[in-house]
Amino acid sequence: MEHTEPHSTEPEMANRQGAAQRPNGAQGKICQFKLVLLGESAVGKSSLVLRFVKGQFHEYQESTIGAAFLTQTVCLDDTTVKFEIWDTAGQERYHSLAPMYYRGAQAAIVVYDITNQDTFGRAKTWVKELQRQASPTIVIALAGNKQDLANKRMVEYEEAQTYAEENGLLFMETSAKTALNVNDIFLAIAKKLPKYDQNQGQSGQGQGRRLAEGDQGAKTPGNCCK
Amino acid sequence: MSESSEGEDVRELFVQDGVLLFSATASFINFVKSVGTLMITEYVDNRRFVEWKPIDVTVDSDIQDQEWAVVNTVERRVRTLSGNVLPEHKNRSKYLRINFEEIKSFRISDKSRRLTFNDGKTEQICTYLFQHGNCEHLVGFLKTLVKTVPSRRDKHLFIILNMNDPERERIDKSFAELNVCNDSNYVWNIWNFQERPVVTTLEAFAKITDLVYRVPQHREMDDDVKEILNKSITEYQHTSTTLSNGEYEVIDCVSDLPNRRDFPRGRALCSEQWNGVQDQEGRIEDSECLKLIIFQGGIVPSLRQEVWKYLLDYYPWNSTHSDRQKLILQKSDEYFSMKLQWKTMTKTQEDNFTDYKERKTQIEKDVTRTDRTIDFYAGDNNPNLQVLNDILMTYVMYNFDLGYVQGMSDLLSPILHLMQSEVDAFWCFVGFMNQLSANFDADQVGMKEQLSNLHTLLAFIDPELATYLDNHDSGNMFFCFRWLLVWFKRELSEEDCMSFWEVMWTGFPCENFHLLVCCAILDQEKQSIIGNNYGFTEILKHINELSGQLNIEKILNDAQGIFYQIKESDRLTDVIRVLLGLPVLYNSSLDNHETSPFVISIETSNESSNHPPECSVDDVRISPEEIQFEKSISSNFI
Repeated sequence: MEHTEPHSTEPEMANRQGAAQRPNGAQGKICQFKLVLLGESAVGKSSLVLRFVKGQFHEYQESTIGAAFLTQTVCLDDTTVKFEIWDTAGQERYHSLAPMYYRGAQAAIVVYDITNQDTFGRAKTWVKELQRQASPTIVIALAGNKQDLANKRMVEYEEAQTYAEENGLLFMETSAKTALNVNDIFLAIAKKLPKYDQNQGQSGQGQGRRLAEGDQGAKTPGNCCK
Repeated sequence: MSESSEGEDVRELFVQDGVLLFSATASFINFVKSVGTLMITEYVDNRRFVEWKPIDVTVDSDIQDQEWAVVNTVERRVRTLSGNVLPEHKNRSKYLRINFEEIKSFRISDKSRRLTFNDGKTEQICTYLFQHGNCEHLVGFLKTLVKTVPSRRDKHLFIILNMNDPERERIDKSFAELNVCNDSNYVWNIWNFQERPVVTTLEAFAKITDLVYRVPQHREMDDDVKEILNKSITEYQHTSTTLSNGEYEVIDCVSDLPNRRDFPRGRALCSEQWNGVQDQEGRIEDSECLKLIIFQGGIVPSLRQEVWKYLLDYYPWNSTHSDRQKLILQKSDEYFSMKLQWKTMTKTQEDNFTDYKERKTQIEKDVTRTDRTIDFYAGDNNPNLQVLNDILMTYVMYNFDLGYVQGMSDLLSPILHLMQSEVDAFWCFVGFMNQLSANFDADQVGMKEQLSNLHTLLAFIDPELATYLDNHDSGNMFFCFRWLLVWFKRELSEEDCMSFWEVMWTGFPCENFHLLVCCAILDQEKQSIIGNNYGFTEILKHINELSGQLNIEKILNDAQGIFYQIKESDRLTDVIRVLLGLPVLYNSSLDNHETSPFVISIETSNESSNHPPECSVDDVRISPEEIQFEKSISSNFI
């Protein structure tokens, strides 16, 4: 179990536009991971992504129809990690589309709303489904979002923490609105993703894609994270 | 349980009103395009029939009394709007009666609104259009009487198995499973059948034999093979004319559509025109011509509020001023009684009604984040949000099975903004949802079908792009999901969205025109997609990022151009015809039948409602009625 106390750090964003940059030329390694956001509707999945990728927050973020795809790149020491983020529609009616997104994902953030107990229950169902259906090596993080509304809290921190421990999940309470722990949870996932293992990570699930022009360093499987 | 007519005892097992005879054999030509009642009947000798009888009186288009019903008693359910029971025909000779034994297959299309019966040989017996509701109940009932198996080559086609004949059943089943003529993947088009019938036929059979014996497990062509073939055929055509005399070719790999014509948008329907088409009592005589004007140029914004009520089936086109006054009162009562149903629900009731509570919660979540950037919905405690909420909640009571699904609030928002009236907005929303309800199926079947149809159309129009998408994990067309689910609501400004929707609601120039709109955009983005070698994720991202970038006028222009390219193509297949609601000729490559002289469709019976006259600003070919119409408009201007 990995757990990070709520605190906000500002990781080095390689580039807000998403293209990997390696200031020091050839010494850096680049790897790329597919990450999917799951969770009940209106818990803040799109808001977390928007905060992480663009540093923005919209109070009335519109519902996601179908799916959205965004990328963000972060630097961990001498490694550049590119996240390919799949943001999904939350309503149960669209559940049948979910496997299309988490298939081949190396990481997932399952989001719930700390002011709504039902969304925590739904998060547990998502975790179960991922454990059963997704890649066995998938890194799952649980995000208790809307931490800024802690005065209306319905899900206790300890309850979620215990659940996360029992299930081997990363766990943080986040706030897309205040940016609390948003970058941190993505960084924590990046740190936990498999290293030196060419059968996992990027090349493992058949979903990894070739990198953009100039990202030569990552074309050899295994030449991934430090 | 029976009644005597023509000396026969007959029991009506199933009755559905409001069914239009779309095409039929020659003896029923006079009834083509008439509305009538479709029945499943059983005679005393156990013979069963599908029977259709025209309604003798003019029936108002109000839907109230034309719903389907299962009838298992002697009581006839043939009523006019006023509720009068029609005098029974003395005999059933006027009926289009098909013995169950004649029907070898039936095909469901157009969101279950169209049902075609086939005799299994060369001909379709007849096609019905279900004007209200759809054919699912009838088909569901039919399936309780006969055993069917879906065709493997056409999932909408159901082959009826003859239970008295096991051999026949095996053959039918194996043909269904054989999947020889896979929808659009590869179809042999036999060009010179007339010149060299024997050779051509043998060769065609030889190819089928090859197909069956050589690779029974994997009959689909590899994508790269297809691509190579596509390339080589295209190149070959450019350098030589020999191929045009060739025996067969792979249809979906060849694009030789006629040049795309330009269809500049016309002028929007204005109030002078609108007032001009109404008679003294407020009836709109020729709604089709009106729709054509709207299709070509939309509606001026000041007139939208009124015209949308017609386009969305709230007001019947032929209603008078006084009809509408009555209707408004009645619909208002109906709305508020449904609203009261949920308004008066207690906390305990809600807690004991999970499905209801789920819908309610979802609506609350979505209403607060629908179009908040538009002034009409902006700001905290905006009362319009409450109205949005109330309409959606009342819709849950109106159609609980469908309930509320994400995306619906997007569809309602512009309607409410325009109508500025809770009741009007509700009934217009109902009309819109009647068209789009399949988009919100729990199992996503409606969406998947549309995406698959879109792929079929794209493969016909632009095989290069379709092949590229297939080779880049995007053949499922999923990146168009949002476009189709809410009809481009998320891609367009509110003003553009309104213009777009009203054009779509006219039903011109063909069925599934919105899919051609998708094709027009994809055509526009083709170079970006292929040039950048985008894969599934980049395509989705690219398509999502088109939001706010689309020029709707250009896209409608292009889509219309594409429609005529398809329609005028000499390679038009029945699959495409069916998708666009064009008459199926049964002489195309797919079936390779001779044209049946017996099948008469609307197009050949001089009716034009489903197939608009080809007219544009530049290229006007309009019918005499329309000339009359245009004259009446002109005289009104003067």
